Amino acid sequence: MIVIRSPDDPIAALATPAASSALAVIRVSGPGSLELLSPLVARRFDPAAARGHTIHRCVVKDGDEDVDDVLIAVYKSPKSYTGEDGAEIFCHGSLPVIQRLLSLLARSGFRAAGPGEFTQRAFLNGRMGLTQAEAVNEIVRAKTDRARGLALQRLGGAIEDRVQKARDALLDLRASLEVLIDYPDEQTDSGVDTEKLDNAERIVMELVHTYPQGRIYQEGVSVAIAGATNAGKSSLFNLLLRQDRAIVSEIHGTTRDWLEGTASIQGIPVRLFDTAGLRAATDALEIQGLKKTHEVIDSADAVLYLVDGTRGMDAADRKFLDGWQRPAPLLRVWNKSDLRGVLPAPEGFLTASAVTGTGIDDIQRALAEATLGGAPFGGAEPLVDSERQRDLLTSALASLKRLRASLSEGATPDLLAVDCAEAMDSLEEITGAVTNAEVLDRMFSRFCVGK
Amino acid sequence: MVIGAGHAGIEAALALARLGFSTILVTQNLDAIGRMSCNPAIGGIAKGNLVREIDALGGQMAKLIDASMIQFRMLNASRGPAVQAPRAQADKALYAALARRSLEAQSGLSLFQDTVVDLLLDSSARVRGVLTERGNHIRARTVVLTTGTFMEGRLFIGDWSAPGGRLGEPAAEGLGASLRRRGFTVGRLKTGTPARGLGRSLDTARMALQQPDPVMRPFSFSTERIERPVVPCWVTYTNEQTHRIIRDNIHRSPLYGGKIVGRGPRYCPSIEDKVVRFPERARHQVFVEPEGLGTDEVYLNGVSSSLPEEVQEAFLHTLRGLESLQIVRPGYAVEYDYLDPTQLGPGLMTKAVDGLFVAGQTNGTSGYEEAAAQGLVAGINAALHLQSREPLVLSRAEAYIGVMVDDLVTRGTEEPYRLFTSRAEYRLSLCHDTADIRLLRHGRMVGLQDAGAEERLERKLRSVEEIRELLRSRKVAGVDADALVALASHRGRSFEQALRDPKIAISELAAREPLLENYAGEWLSLAETAVKYAGYVRRQDDLVGRFRSLEDKRIPPGFDWDTAAGFSTEAREKLKRIRPASVGQASRIPGVRPPDIAVILVHLRRAR
Repeated sequence: MIVIRSPDDPIAALATPAASSALAVIRVSGPGSLELLSPLVARRFDPAAARGHTIHRCVVKDGDEDVDDVLIAVYKSPKSYTGEDGAEIFCHGSLPVIQRLLSLLARSGFRAAGPGEFTQRAFLNGRMGLTQAEAVNEIVRAKTDRARGLALQRLGGAIEDRVQKARDALLDLRASLEVLIDYPDEQTDSGVDTEKLDNAERIVMELVHTYPQGRIYQEGVSVAIAGATNAGKSSLFNLLLRQDRAIVSEIHGTTRDWLEGTASIQGIPVRLFDTAGLRAATDALEIQGLKKTHEVIDSADAVLYLVDGTRGMDAADRKFLDGWQRPAPLLRVWNKSDLRGVLPAPEGFLTASAVTGTGIDDIQRALAEATLGGAPFGGAEPLVDSERQRDLLTSALASLKRLRASLSEGATPDLLAVDCAEAMDSLEEITGAVTNAEVLDRMFSRFCVGK
Repeated sequence: MVIGAGHAGIEAALALARLGFSTILVTQNLDAIGRMSCNPAIGGIAKGNLVREIDALGGQMAKLIDASMIQFRMLNASRGPAVQAPRAQADKALYAALARRSLEAQSGLSLFQDTVVDLLLDSSARVRGVLTERGNHIRARTVVLTTGTFMEGRLFIGDWSAPGGRLGEPAAEGLGASLRRRGFTVGRLKTGTPARGLGRSLDTARMALQQPDPVMRPFSFSTERIERPVVPCWVTYTNEQTHRIIRDNIHRSPLYGGKIVGRGPRYCPSIEDKVVRFPERARHQVFVEPEGLGTDEVYLNGVSSSLPEEVQEAFLHTLRGLESLQIVRPGYAVEYDYLDPTQLGPGLMTKAVDGLFVAGQTNGTSGYEEAAAQGLVAGINAALHLQSREPLVLSRAEAYIGVMVDDLVTRGTEEPYRLFTSRAEYRLSLCHDTADIRLLRHGRMVGLQDAGAEERLERKLRSVEEIRELLRSRKVAGVDADALVALASHRGRSFEQALRDPKIAISELAAREPLLENYAGEWLSLAETAVKYAGYVRRQDDLVGRFRSLEDKRIPPGFDWDTAAGFSTEAREKLKRIRPASVGQASRIPGVRPPDIAVILVHLRRAR
């Protein structure tokens, strides 16, 4: 099913979260939207007559009644986000005001925008390409600054540029095959330039490999802090959260099963779990708590295991560490390095003090590297983080591998050209050069309202 | 009525008459019917496929060349079966004579020598006939326009220039101006031809002989075999001295002197163009081709030129073997009117004038085969129009004809359009030897093919199936491996499995198995392609499926491009003009971008 909606009626939606805050923004767009606003504002300002890219303070009226004192930013087609006439209304962020304004707009002829409809219109009006539209979606959803940065880079077309480069190389290759085919009597020196193939394959491969990283930045990871009671888990937990000024969001039960908080570690959104101490338990409540602790540890993407450096490892620590068999990375931390009498850390341990913060940077970096699968961290490379792009790049790569195989088997140019064309097809689908109604369907159904 | 008796006109007239319509073909000169204005050859890459497609639909060209060829080559034998194509040297005079005879012999078809200067239309812009130079009003309910290079044609050699459609033949003046007046977009194109020489003045000992194939293979699916005399071609090269003479005189070329405004073909440049645009090339190949059995005239393929005659002579004399060449006709350029083909619907009828069809060079194409294919399509569709039936529109996935017509009416052309295999997205499905499998049913439906042709096709399909069965059941035995080393590693496997090995050809297997050897070579190679390229064909079929999903989204003819919201201004203009019949066609219009396609989908969805 295609979810593209009628592109030519005025729409409105709340662009900020539907919650109380100091300010809220309501967006409207569509031909005639400014005219629809005109009767709603006090007389000395007429949105329909205002120039584009201007901002105006005015009072929104519902009949004779003042609704709110607002700022209205006016945009004129085609120089607007959607490419249509439109406006942003900055109002006070109380829920009754927001409700009142939205219902007023609805009564005035605005339809409530569907998910992603503003961006969809921008796409339909040629204001942005497919990957850009996807990137906008990511920015809206991006959890950390790092993820936002990556999405912004894509908005600038970084991935499109790369894909375009690969496509160009293939285009050259294709052209040389076509010359061989279409001019059999000419003595052209055109052969198959394997360097072009190498180039295209390298670019596509690099992009494919960034996918797991891109995904981690986008989706985040869960990290459990484990260890014996009193190893300093809660201190580390608080320290990691405090650094990001995040707040502890959930506390489960009175028996302290675990604590959960969200932090940004080296730009990766991390759901951090502080678990109950691992120790032999006797009473039913504690046994229940330990069971849950193990569940959390077993489902985490990475585990930080703390040992009290002043006490050293006991049998329970050894049992846990030696028995670790899950593929998720396990980082060993030798805590309390600030205390006198701390024992020398065994090999493979990071030393740190959750109290003074010493060694915390090392832990963060190690954690980021471990969750990114050991890939070097921190480059300015554009990352592929949508499944659609990943799938298309993978299929392009498969075509290129077939092309290489056919080439070494001595296949004829007509067949080489098929592989080449297939790879180009996949790449063009990323940049939106070929349209596929299903792609639009899937993409736009993932957008949240207002963007 | 058909205007013009070139390769397009011949096919259009025969199709209309064969489909039972009283047809008149008007030409400026009855003695110039079916002339090959340029090279003496039919076929070539993609073009050979066209000729066989014409035959599958019930056209004439394949039969004409089968009866007049004097040399045959299967091109691209080493570059894959999908891109192989037949090419034959023609006896020009014989070809033209046979063409004329086939027109004269056709019942229901009359020929008339006159020059058309204007169209007659009724009040609702339907064509009603034509007005000629001598004041004749000839009435007709449909008109097929195939004017070639004659409409306001102008010839150029050096400083000399005069009206003309071919050297020695007058231009058709007046019609181009009438069409302009009636609001058609008419443009200018340019093409050129090389000098012709006398065969006995060549020193063939100083040139390389180009080997023809030992066996002449028919273009027509109904021709059993061809036994005709073979005449060789020769190969020679330009050299630094040739290039220097051309460079020194380049200012005397009408192309470079700014006299010619029409755009020439990039893929078939004049020798001036080659020298100027590729200065790093030390030499260019030249083929010396006989023009026929009844003449000693030879064609110099590769040195098309409109330089002054004495310069042509000077540079030609620098080529090995041509030192004493006696030139009998100089090379020249011709500039002519063409109608922007985006003014046509997919059936080649103009959108503005009901009943007016256009085909061939008038649509901006180049080449005999391209012209003939369009002539056939226009003739068939003129007949279908008179029968109030839907036009025959071949898809890009089923025929090179479909690719060409769609390109023309969707994208238009700014240089003489020539078909290339690379213009087709799915060329593995468009092999020359499957043209009948792909298209015969259309010829049958239209009424140009009879039951006999259908039986022939069924026999072919049955035979290919039998061959494939034999390949599956026959195992590679010890004696096979002893006889053919490549088979050693396939011992015990089926012939089919062995055939997947790129090093093994079906001819080698057929030599090992008398049951296989009985089958015609063309059937064997069809089976071979099916086996060897099964994987690729399957993958391409997936792509074709995706392509069809957009082609199948039809846009109703009355779609209102003016009021439908959401298009960019450029896209709206283009869409309004082209009036695409499907979303797929719309997506191929230059200037129409993915967002516009999305908008079309929105509107189609809302209309439902």
